This record gives sequence, C-alpha cells and structure tokens, in this order.
Amino acid sequence: MNKFKQLLGVSGVLAASLPALISGVPAAQAEDIQQLRIAVKKDRYSVDPKKFNFTTRRPAGQIVETAVKPDENFIPQGVLFETWDYKDGVYSIKLREGIKFHDGQTFDAKAAIDALKLYDQGRSDFLQIDQESFDQTGPYTFTFKSEINSSLVIENMTHRGASLFSINGERAENPIGTGSYLLDSYKPKQSISMKRNADYWGDAPKVENITYHFIADDQVRLLALQNKEVDIVAEVTPQMLLSLPKDGSVVVHESRPIRYVALLTNLHGKAPYDTLKDKRVREALAYAINREQLAQVLFNGKGVVAKGILPDWMFGLGDKHVDGFDYNTQKAEALLDEAGWTKGSDGMRSKDGKPLKLRLVAAYPNVSSVRPMPELLEQMFRGIGIDIELVQVDDSGVYDDTYLATGEADLYMEFASNNNADPTYLLYNLFHSKTPWGYQYTAPGGKLDTILDNARQAQSREKVIELVREAHREIVQTKLAAIPILMVPNFNLSRPGLNIPMFEHADWIDYGQVTQTK
Amino acid sequence: MKQFVFKRTLSGIPTLFGMTLIGFLIIGLTPGDPIEMELRRLGVSFTAEQVEALRVEYGLDKPLIQRYFIWLLDLFRLDLGTSIASGRPVLELFKEHLPITATLSVLAFVSSLALSLVLGTITAVSQRTSVSTSLYVLTMFLVSVPSFWLALFLLAVFALGLGWFKLLQFGNAQDLILPVITLTLGNAAVMSRLVRERIIAVMSEDYIRLAITKGLSRRAILGRHVLKSILPPLITNWAISFGSLLGGSVIIENIFNLPGLGQLALQAIAERDFAILQAYLLFMGLVFFLANFAADLTNHWLMPQLKEDDHGVR
Repeated sequence: MNKFKQLLGVSGVLAASLPALISGVPAAQAEDIQQLRIAVKKDRYSVDPKKFNFTTRRPAGQIVETAVKPDENFIPQGVLFETWDYKDGVYSIKLREGIKFHDGQTFDAKAAIDALKLYDQGRSDFLQIDQESFDQTGPYTFTFKSEINSSLVIENMTHRGASLFSINGERAENPIGTGSYLLDSYKPKQSISMKRNADYWGDAPKVENITYHFIADDQVRLLALQNKEVDIVAEVTPQMLLSLPKDGSVVVHESRPIRYVALLTNLHGKAPYDTLKDKRVREALAYAINREQLAQVLFNGKGVVAKGILPDWMFGLGDKHVDGFDYNTQKAEALLDEAGWTKGSDGMRSKDGKPLKLRLVAAYPNVSSVRPMPELLEQMFRGIGIDIELVQVDDSGVYDDTYLATGEADLYMEFASNNNADPTYLLYNLFHSKTPWGYQYTAPGGKLDTILDNARQAQSREKVIELVREAHREIVQTKLAAIPILMVPNFNLSRPGLNIPMFEHADWIDYGQVTQTK
Repeated sequence: MKQFVFKRTLSGIPTLFGMTLIGFLIIGLTPGDPIEMELRRLGVSFTAEQVEALRVEYGLDKPLIQRYFIWLLDLFRLDLGTSIASGRPVLELFKEHLPITATLSVLAFVSSLALSLVLGTITAVSQRTSVSTSLYVLTMFLVSVPSFWLALFLLAVFALGLGWFKLLQFGNAQDLILPVITLTLGNAAVMSRLVRERIIAVMSEDYIRLAITKGLSRRAILGRHVLKSILPPLITNWAISFGSLLGGSVIIENIFNLPGLGQLALQAIAERDFAILQAYLLFMGLVFFLANFAADLTNHWLMPQLKEDDHGVR
C-alpha cells in the first residue's frame, strides 16, 4: 500500500512538472501585478453628494462595496451583509463583523443604516426602502421595510449604484468605503487611479495599483492596447473583434453568453406598421432566421443560438420553459401562405395588392454593435418573400422618440442584456404595458402584465422565478413579442499573459484579482 | 472708429439672442429624453413617478419657451445650469475643458496661417512647375481627406509604427503635437487655396503687370502690392477658420482623447445633456461673433477707406 502511495506521489510530481519537462521551462505560475491599466469608454465616475447613486460605476466599485453581489447565477450572495431574511414584509439583516471603513470607522448596524439612508437623499432612490422603518436590533443587526412591499430589495442592492459609503468625508473628493482599493488620483475625462487597501477585510487584491483610462474612440482603445499603453480593454464592440491583429498580441477574454440580440415586434402598430399583429407572420420571421450561420459569422464566432432573451443559467431559470425556433424556411413560407401573403412572379409576397414590406430599425445600443446583422437578416427575410426597409439609427434618443414611442416600425433590433439581479427587471421594463422605457408598442399587455405584476409582488424568490419563467415563455414563444436570435458573451481584450476573472456583468469583473502568467 | 465699434456691437446683440433661441429650440426639440436615456443606461428599475420627479427636478417638465427664458435669466447671473450626466455646474465644466481646446485651436490656427501662406504663395507664383503641381495635389488631398482618417493615420504611423508619441495624454505639451498637426494640415490646405486664388487674381491686375514691366522684383511686388490687396478677404477667412477650428476639434479631441470642450459636447449630444449643449452653442456663437468682429476691426484699421459693407467681400 505504501509503495502504491509513493508511486502515486511520484506520478503527481511528474504530472505537475510535465509542462516544464516538455517545454524545457518552469511551469506557468500566476504572479501579482504592480500596475494594471484598463481602457474604458466613458468617464462615468461621479460621487456627487446629490446624485452619487446615479453614476457611481465601475471604478468607484473598487473603493466602495455593495451589501451583496451577484453569484454565478445572478443570485445575491453576501458581501457586507452576512445573512438576510425577508418575512411578513420585513427585511432582517445581519452584518459581517470585523469590517472597517477606510478611515477606521467600524462598519456596524448604525453605519449601515446611515449609508442606506443616503440613498433617500439622492436623485434616484431605486432601492425604495421605507426610511422610517429602519430599526437597529443589535450592534450588527437591523431591520427595514420596502416602500412598495417588494421582496426584491436585496436583489437591487447588487447594483454598483447601491454601494455603501461612509457618511464621513466629502464623497466626491475622498470617497470612504470598505473596498479593496483607495482613491489615489482622479483626472476628469482622462483617468482615475487607485491603490491597494493594505487593511482590506477580504481576500487581498493581487494588483497593487489600478488605473482606468477613459478612451472614447473604439479604435483608439484597441490601438492603445496594441501600443502597450493599456493592459486591458474593458468595453469591446463587434467591430473591434473584427479588426483584431492576427499575431497573438491581443487576447480575447469572454464570459458565458449573456447579451441577447433579438427583434422586438410591433404588436399594436397602426397601418402601415400593423402587419405583425398577425402571429403567423411573426412566427414566419422566427423560422426564417438562420441563427447558426449568424453565430458563425458575427462576434468572432462566440455567439450562440438563442431560445430566449434570458440565458438559461441566470437565476437558475433553465431553458425547458422555452422551445425556440429552428431554421425552417418551408414552415415560414407555409405560415405566410396561410396568412394570405402570396408570392408574386418576382418572389416577393403581397396580399390584396399590398406588398409584404416591413420596416426594421437597428439602433440599440448603436448601429456598430450589431452590424452587419441587419443586412444579413434582410437577405434571410427576402428569401421568404418579405421586403425589408432597413433603418439604421446611431442615436438612442432618435430611436426612442422617432420609432419606438411612435410605433413607426415593424421590427426593432436590440442588443442588450438583463444586467440586474432582480429577475423581473428586464421583462418588466421592456414588456409590461406600463413600461417606463417607452416600449408600449412591443408590450403584449393582458396576461403578461398580470404575470409580471404578480412576479413583482411575489413574496418568495422561488415564486418570482416561477413567474419569470412563465413571463419569459409568453414573450419569446407564445406572443413572440421578441424573436430571439443570438446570445453573446461579455468580452475583454488584453495583452498576452493576463488572467482576468471574467464575469457576465461588466460592473462585477474584479480587476483587483487579475494575475499574469510568469 | 468708435462709431464703427458701437454699431458692430449693437448689431451683434440681436444676432446672439436669435442664435441662443434657435439653438435652444433645436436642442429642445431633438428626439430623446435625457432622463429616460440615463436611467436605461444605468440599469436600475424605476417607476414612471420617479422619472417624472427627476424631470421636474431638472425643469424638463416646463414648456420649451418657458425653459428658454429661465435659462436666459440664469445666464445674466452667469449661471449656465447643471449637467444632467455629471451633476456639476456647466460653468465649472467649461473652465476645466476650455484651456485644452483653446490651446489646441490657437496653435493649430497659427501654424495653419503660416503654412497656408507659404503653400498658397508657392503654388500661385510658380504655376505649372512640378513643385507647384505636387503641392497643389497635396493640398487637394488634404482638403478631401476626413480629419478622423488623418488622425487615425497619424496615430498608426507615429504612435504605433514609429513609437514617437503616446496615445494616452498626460498633460504634457508634446501630447498636442499630433492633434495640432492633424488640425493644421486640413485647415492649412483649405486656407492655402484661397491664398493661391487671391494671389493669382491680383497678379493679373493691370497695376501689377505695370509693376512687373517696370522691373520691380517679385518679392517687392508680393510684399508691397499683392499682400496689401489680398489681406482683407484673407482676414475674414481666417476669422471663420478660427471658429471652425474650435468647432472642428470635436472629432480630433475624441480620437486623441483630449478632455476639451469638443469631447464634452460630443458626450453631451449622446446624453442629451441640454445645459452643456446650450452653453456650447452660446460659446461657439460668441467665438464666431468675436472673431468676425476682430476681422472687421482689423480690416477697418488696415483700410479705413473701405466702406463697412465691403469688409470681407472684396
């Protein structure tokens, strides 16, 4: 037996050293980094006292921490909160002990309540906590209620905008948080630098200093990486992926697929934008899309065929509740025939002398983010006899007011994601008829509104998820308010040798834990 | 002269007012609600009531004309409003961003001026030579090529290829070299064509031909006669060029990542940050007004015999 153990031990050592033996160099080891430079698009750093929860984003996220963070399934897990419970409309919180703010102040129940109360003074109180309900029940425990009797307050606390600041000090000049980094310097529109917090309560960061450089132009961000002026590019467009050098000087890092590309359909349009009121036409469109081909051509081949607009791993939703649509042009043509749209000698369809022509608007978040998908879809739809008027708008304001709010289009191509741990967030804001985002024409209304309202009011997470599955099916399968096309990962680019702990939500990539291979 | 200054100032007031009103209406009527755009970008859940409350807070709930007069009254108190995106006073943002744009524009203007005079003169006086033709083709190329392409080309060659410059700016004077060259090349090419045309036109005048036949040197003719004749239209053109440089720096600042007024304005357009946009329009209007005013004054001083209406058209 002992000999067997020895043999195992020797085998283990050999296996571990195999790469080194083969290559003649020591095995790759991760090492800490002194200075990490990250290129991001815009300077959205602001901790203005009146609106700090409005724009506090990624860079500030290293300095101040949230109470909870999303786990790998986007379910909240404790950071500053150790445990929480929601019962009879009351949240009971137990804080993690032994945490101090950067100025040495203990992070206890009083400090946490003070920090949460700051949100009521801000201009965007999206947590909607009943400010009168805070009750300190112990040095590290307290309770509160939701203003709107929501069971999803903790989920909303995963947003970086809900980070907890100390009420001491001037937040803009010297934000005091509990995070793993301290603000070092800030040059508006240029860069923000932070240094490692030696007294950090959690896992020590592996990077000594982090600097975010704000570079607005996509191509210049890529050039800066190639010119070794930054180490990581954190916001990557498909256009950048298409223009990557082939010499291995730039490495692509990707998360699991999270962003969806989908066509939202106009369900309530007035003529001439009323064609899609007929579900058979919506289904025909869904069957006419060759998703496999699009997945190969676009996004560096990293996209995957989508059955829905929420990924199956998110919230533990799974994908059994949706069926998806395969590529079946025969079925698509049969559906159009059945709907009375007959093919003419030119291969294009018409009904009662009216040609089958649809307006497709590609705009969100901008044209470059999905190009050339609109053109490819146009060809696919023409293949089944549907004429497409392609409108590409590079301004989300024009898109919102000119096409979305007026219903003056048939199809709206969107490239977006559910970037919130509240499972109802995306579906409610996009598809409830009371949508605050102006999607009235693509919201089915009726049964879906009831499901989403119930989901928002449900008092247990299990019930919320069950209702979200039901709503999701209603949207992408039963009503086809959205025709899913692809799911796409979140990308980063870096110089070779860097190990980035990728995460689906860009705000939650912990750049302090980046290492480099020796 | 005093009367001239007084008249010009007086005529500028309604122009500026009209410009602010038109600017305000254009910005106000542009599709896109800044509050909704910001909220969706942030990815947090909001109720319609909260959106409305924010709209009230920023005064976006009031009728456009009422908003204009409120803005105008605030303007007299030197209050340019507050940026929706950053929450900071617009005046403060302008103080931060103006120095870079002003430095960039002044440097580009001075170098454009010098280069355009040299290029324009050479191509005019040595017509039908290989040097003149080559320079003419070069200026045509520079006039045609978009500034963003030129900027990316210079970056690829001098930063990425030769490694002489950095892409990221750190506030050093050398950070402005490539942006100034980009702005200068395009602008000088345009300006040099006017210099060339004016010189060719003046050189064909009878009094110049007479001077040539009298044996006056080319340098003397150019310095004493031609320059004097071509200056008034050139000064007016230079004034417009200076304003265009300030406005044209938007793309260049974006590519070279310079935190100037152009970059501020570009971001404000995307975010419908009305307060910044309105202030930017006012500023650009003032620059064009003052530049033209300065050009008129200079012309008036150089050639007082010119009638007022002739300024800039002769």
